[in-house]
Formats: sequence, C-alpha cells, structure tokens
Amino acid sequence: MSAAAAVTDASFQGEVLDSAVPVLVDFWAPWCGPCRIVAPVVDEIAQEYAGKVKVVKLNTDENPKVASEYGIRSIPTLMVFKGGQKVDTLVGAVPKTSLADTLNKHL
Amino acid sequence: MSPTETAQEATTKSLEAMRKFSEQYAKRTGTYFCVDLSVTAVVIRGLAKHKDELGAPLCPCRHYEDKEAEAKQGFWNCPCVPMRERKECHCMLFLTPENDFAGSEQEISPEVVAGG
Repeated sequence: MSAAAAVTDASFQGEVLDSAVPVLVDFWAPWCGPCRIVAPVVDEIAQEYAGKVKVVKLNTDENPKVASEYGIRSIPTLMVFKGGQKVDTLVGAVPKTSLADTLNKHL
Repeated sequence: MSPTETAQEATTKSLEAMRKFSEQYAKRTGTYFCVDLSVTAVVIRGLAKHKDELGAPLCPCRHYEDKEAEAKQGFWNCPCVPMRERKECHCMLFLTPENDFAGSEQEISPEVVAGG
C-alpha cells in the first residue's frame, strides 16, 4: 500500500493548491522505469514527513491537463507546492537525500 | 499491476522486437541494463505499446501534448537523439557503466520482459 495518495486533474486544486501544508507531487506514468525507482523513495518520505508535508502522486497519462499545465516533460518529475505555488522541481530518479534536502528548504 | 494496465499490454510481436532491439543496441553502444531488470522490462513494454499504438517506439518516460505528432517528429523515438548523441537515456534502459544504477546485463529474457 502506497503512502502517497493519488490525485487527479479534478482533485489537484483541492488536494495540492489549497493545501495548508507543503505538498510533494510525484508525476509518474505506468510504463516509466525510473518511476519504479522513485516511488518507494517518495513513500518513505511520505511516512517520515507525515504531518509536515503532504505527499501525492499523479498519473500523467490519465491526468494530462495538470501535467501539461505544469510543463511536465521528463518523467518522473517531482514538484513541491507551497501556498498554491510551485516552489521546486526535481527531475529523474533522485536520491532520497536530495529530495529531503529540497523539502527541508520549504518547511 | 491493475487490470486496466494488463488490458493495454503490447502485442507479443512488438515486445519481442523491442526486446531484441534493446539487447542489440546495448551491446553496440557499450551500455548496460539497470541493475533492477524490472525497470528495463517496464520500459521495453512501454516502447512496444507505443510501437503498436503509434507505429514508433516513442519514449515512455516523457509527457507529450500530442503523442502522434511526437512519434511522427521522431526526436523521442527510441533510440532518441540524446541517446544517439550523448548516450543519455533518462528512461534508464541504456546505462553507461559508471552509472550507479547500471547492472552487468546486456540481455533480458522474454519471461523477464513479460513479468517485470
């Protein structure tokens, strides 16, 4: 069971942009290999930052509107949102330490 | 894997074509598959699915505004331009030996491709 909840084009505004805490969004796709490397890292982060950061994932194949709106090209892409704004972007299978360092900047 | 994904699987013919291509291209370029072969397998399946749907093995690790137009344009058809020019495969199908994720394999069996 993934610790990161799925968001969609329909729920993105409420779940991500209107969130009171910073949100980490994992933009992934079903046939993307490195997404499988990053997913468990994102799940660990979700558990370790519970209460401080909301962690969600968005399937770009099924939710092209949000993916296009934020200019997603290479997958996986991780984005940090705070107060309804995108504040950071990480592309590719990033190590957990890089992800944690990025999140810590926004807490 | 969800039932939806199973329903969308590529044909055996395309899977085998992309599997063989991947082995040959890795050997030709001196690159290696990921140490986790399930990563390799899912990418090969994604390429095969695009080959079936679009007529070209468009990279499955990108988001496109228009997949048909991208497949026709060709920049991200495997092997993509960054791979051909600089051995850069962000999909982690072809990894140079110094990459932390590179394994020692340049071959992958049909069974691993099907189950990854």
